[in-house]
Amino acid sequence: MTRLVILGGGLTTHFAPSSDFPAWAALMACVVCAVSMLALIMEMRVRRSGRALVLATGVVAVASLLLAVTRPVRIAARESRIGPRVIVLADASRSMDLQSTRGGTRKAARDQAVAALQASAKEARITVLGFGDGAPFPLAEGDAARPRSDLMSALNPVLKSEGETPQAVVVVSDGRLSEPESEKGLHPLIDGLNVPIHTIATAEESLPDATILHVGATGSAVAHVPLPLRVEVLCTGGLSCDKLTVTARELRASGAPTLLASGLADVSQGRGVVDLTITLDSFGPRIVEVALSAPAGDKIPENNRRFFTFNVARERLRVLHVAGRPTADVRALRQWLKSDASIDLVAFFILRTPTDDPRAPNEELALIPFPVDELFEQHLASFDAVILQDFEVAPYGLRPHLPRLANYVKERGGGLIMVGGPASFVSGGYARTPLADVLPVKLDGNPGHTKEDLAKFTPDWTDVGRTAPILAPLRKATNDEFPQVEGVNVVGDLAEHATALLTHPTRLTPSGAKMPVLAVGEVGAGRSIALAIDGAWELEYSPLGSRTQGRGYAALWDGLLGWLMRDPRYEPAQLSLPAGCTVGTKTRLRLKAVSGMKPEGTKLTLKRLDEEAAVIVVPIDQKADLLSGVDIDLPALAEGGYTAKVGFGTGPSTSLDFACEAGGDEWADPRPDVQRLRDIAKETHGDFAFAWDASKLALPSPTVVSAERHVVPVAPAWGWSLLAAAALGAHWFIRRRRGFG
Amino acid sequence: MRRIAAISLAVLVVTLLVLAVPRPARAFGDRGAFDARVLLAGGTTGAARPTAPLRWAHELVMRTSAPARSRPTSVRADDGDIVSGPFLYWSGDVALTPLSSAEVSGLRRFFALGGLLVVDDAGVNFDGDKSEFGKTARAQIARVLPDSAIIQIGPEHVIFKSFYLLHRAEGRVQGPKTLDAIVRGGNVQVIFTNHDLGGALAQGPTGVWEFPVVPGGEAQRDHAVRLAVNIAMYLLCSNYKDDQVHAPFLIRRRSRVRESEP
Repeated sequence: MTRLVILGGGLTTHFAPSSDFPAWAALMACVVCAVSMLALIMEMRVRRSGRALVLATGVVAVASLLLAVTRPVRIAARESRIGPRVIVLADASRSMDLQSTRGGTRKAARDQAVAALQASAKEARITVLGFGDGAPFPLAEGDAARPRSDLMSALNPVLKSEGETPQAVVVVSDGRLSEPESEKGLHPLIDGLNVPIHTIATAEESLPDATILHVGATGSAVAHVPLPLRVEVLCTGGLSCDKLTVTARELRASGAPTLLASGLADVSQGRGVVDLTITLDSFGPRIVEVALSAPAGDKIPENNRRFFTFNVARERLRVLHVAGRPTADVRALRQWLKSDASIDLVAFFILRTPTDDPRAPNEELALIPFPVDELFEQHLASFDAVILQDFEVAPYGLRPHLPRLANYVKERGGGLIMVGGPASFVSGGYARTPLADVLPVKLDGNPGHTKEDLAKFTPDWTDVGRTAPILAPLRKATNDEFPQVEGVNVVGDLAEHATALLTHPTRLTPSGAKMPVLAVGEVGAGRSIALAIDGAWELEYSPLGSRTQGRGYAALWDGLLGWLMRDPRYEPAQLSLPAGCTVGTKTRLRLKAVSGMKPEGTKLTLKRLDEEAAVIVVPIDQKADLLSGVDIDLPALAEGGYTAKVGFGTGPSTSLDFACEAGGDEWADPRPDVQRLRDIAKETHGDFAFAWDASKLALPSPTVVSAERHVVPVAPAWGWSLLAAAALGAHWFIRRRRGFG
Repeated sequence: MRRIAAISLAVLVVTLLVLAVPRPARAFGDRGAFDARVLLAGGTTGAARPTAPLRWAHELVMRTSAPARSRPTSVRADDGDIVSGPFLYWSGDVALTPLSSAEVSGLRRFFALGGLLVVDDAGVNFDGDKSEFGKTARAQIARVLPDSAIIQIGPEHVIFKSFYLLHRAEGRVQGPKTLDAIVRGGNVQVIFTNHDLGGALAQGPTGVWEFPVVPGGEAQRDHAVRLAVNIAMYLLCSNYKDDQVHAPFLIRRRSRVRESEP
């Protein structure tokens, strides 16, 4: 909002010496005249008749001489007074939504201060801008609050723009600024400009509040490795605190949050610290909630819990490989797994079935019991992925653990791969078990159903298989070839959220679709893969394998395990939240698809973590250039964790877990920082005031500007000269007649 | 009475014959099953003990969960199919002719994919001294893998614990306690036996062992079968038994066996 204030805008007239007459000469002329007048007066001290006449003519003569020298002109001009340009930077961050001790919000106090300033400084040209997380912007009613209060980013374009430099800047804020860190940080901007920064504080003190002030982690989060957290709590606004219980919980895709750690913070002089140690088992972005139990009287409950996204890295990928019998396929997979130094492999192979006769006592065998209970009850969570290869459920006690294994995938975000063979899928007894629910293919457990097809065949690539990044390394290594394999597990249609990458050339599913041979799927928080053949090893040992130096097998498993572990190289798109998510602010999701993904049929969904909430479908422009990246506005979100998932038609999908906070960083410390505003004003030679005294702030004076200037000589130069000569002559004549020398 | 006895005898013979036939490989087809594939190279036209590969497969299937081909195959070193499986069994008792360049090339492709070759010296004497086959096979392998050294591997190697806990190598002859091997990157590429392993495995169609085992008799034969089973399990499981999870069990079990030994 800008006001151009022009005062006294009518035509004004005044007189002045001729413009070709320099000021110093005018001054000299005046001095000479003054001296002459003084001499004349001294002379008139002699008592003689007629001296009054002599004096009068003398004065006229001197004046006429002065006029002849200066040749006065009449100037008619339209003069204006322009008010000073003042930029008001109003804090638009989330902290301004906090309640003030004087009633109302800090934002309301801010608006009142701005109104008072505008009313009191009518002559000033005041521009009111908001500042938050970047360049300043025009304030508008209903604007979403900003997640930061970066004064530096707002001042930079104001002070460094090529336009008119403001004569003053007024900052209206609670002083809880993200930038600068101290008033000294302003110097690079203000040095040499002579622009004072006045500050107006919108609050004096905080409401009674207990808050999580800061959470610091020592080092970065690594899967399965304990991570120490230091949680600082604050009690302010006169709230009485003694001990505060602090908990850390991990939010999950489904099911209740998992308690990771809890502790007691001793609060002394309003501050307390508690050290917690958490262990995150899954890698990738994990949402952790840190919360405190606030005492009665806490007026800002929104900052009693914070959400943090830990990008959990993995030291090594922990894989459990369970095989029902040793075969060439098992050998190939084990050798590939062991060849990757980043994989921590735990393997169990069934080397002897109950019907085998090793013809030796147990002491002479190098066999150990299969620790099925220990593995699946105690250690399952420590694995990032489980591979079941040609492994039958019944004989080895796996059946009681299938619900836990399914839960491991669906709720804990684990990865599961089932590799084919005569003891896999339906043949292995997995139909109608909880594990079947997390596979990407349906299993028909009806009696009489064909479980295996032993015919030789060459799998077909599906359209998605030809474009998805997951098989890109394989396609590149084998030039889109796949060896002929012998036999396949007969599986059903694709499960929901599953995609077929390879299909059988002739077999059909009950729905009439080509039967999947390789399928991938998203299940809750986890992912699963079904590879319904036991002949993938022929990518290594076959004429094709020989031609490609066996690289196809490694390429296949690089892609499968990489996709299972959400390696960005194998994701169909990248999702990110450039500005995070805070309740009440606009949340923007950035989507960038990889080459080969078609925008048609792209579907973006949003689901709240930790509860069975409905899935929200977020509309996407189907013609948008997804390869270049698009920003998508998400609907208003409540506090909590969310999963955003994007799918491309029938192709694989990718997801992003993120958290939305009610208070966020802006509410973590609700105390206004009045001293900081005072320091900024002092450092920049400005003034400080509270919002309720904003009208007392002294702003710069207006500037006068002339326009339509007309200069007209009062008389011609010869006229002034004639007048001076006549006056001097008359004065000389009378002096002589009265007896003066 | 004589008729009943004849019928009973016939039933018994049929039953024994049925049991003697290896069970079908429990895999899709049998391409992924253990195939004691005979290498034809350097002038060999088959295994020195032709029945040994079948017996090897049979013993593996009977004793372990591993599937094996009921009809082991053979392949020429210069055949493109040499890279169609990870295992080759090369046996003989006479000197080999030098490998042709095509054979050398085929074997190199086989090893490049990570294959395992067992060179079984059927002409070894009772002391385990190498025959001409053993000597010439080493020379030819040196041409195929020129930068590789032959080392001895003993009970500490995973081959000696891949299924049975073995204390030494044994075959038709007792020979040296260790096996000779070429190891690259921790993986065994070639195993040389100076024990005529195939001789201990060879069994005629009537179930009679074809060669006597000296000096240990049938106990030594069983140890030879165990070594064969271990080699097959090493092929199919790689170094699985070297995994840390097995270590405490195997150490305890070995110490117990040692304590019980006289």
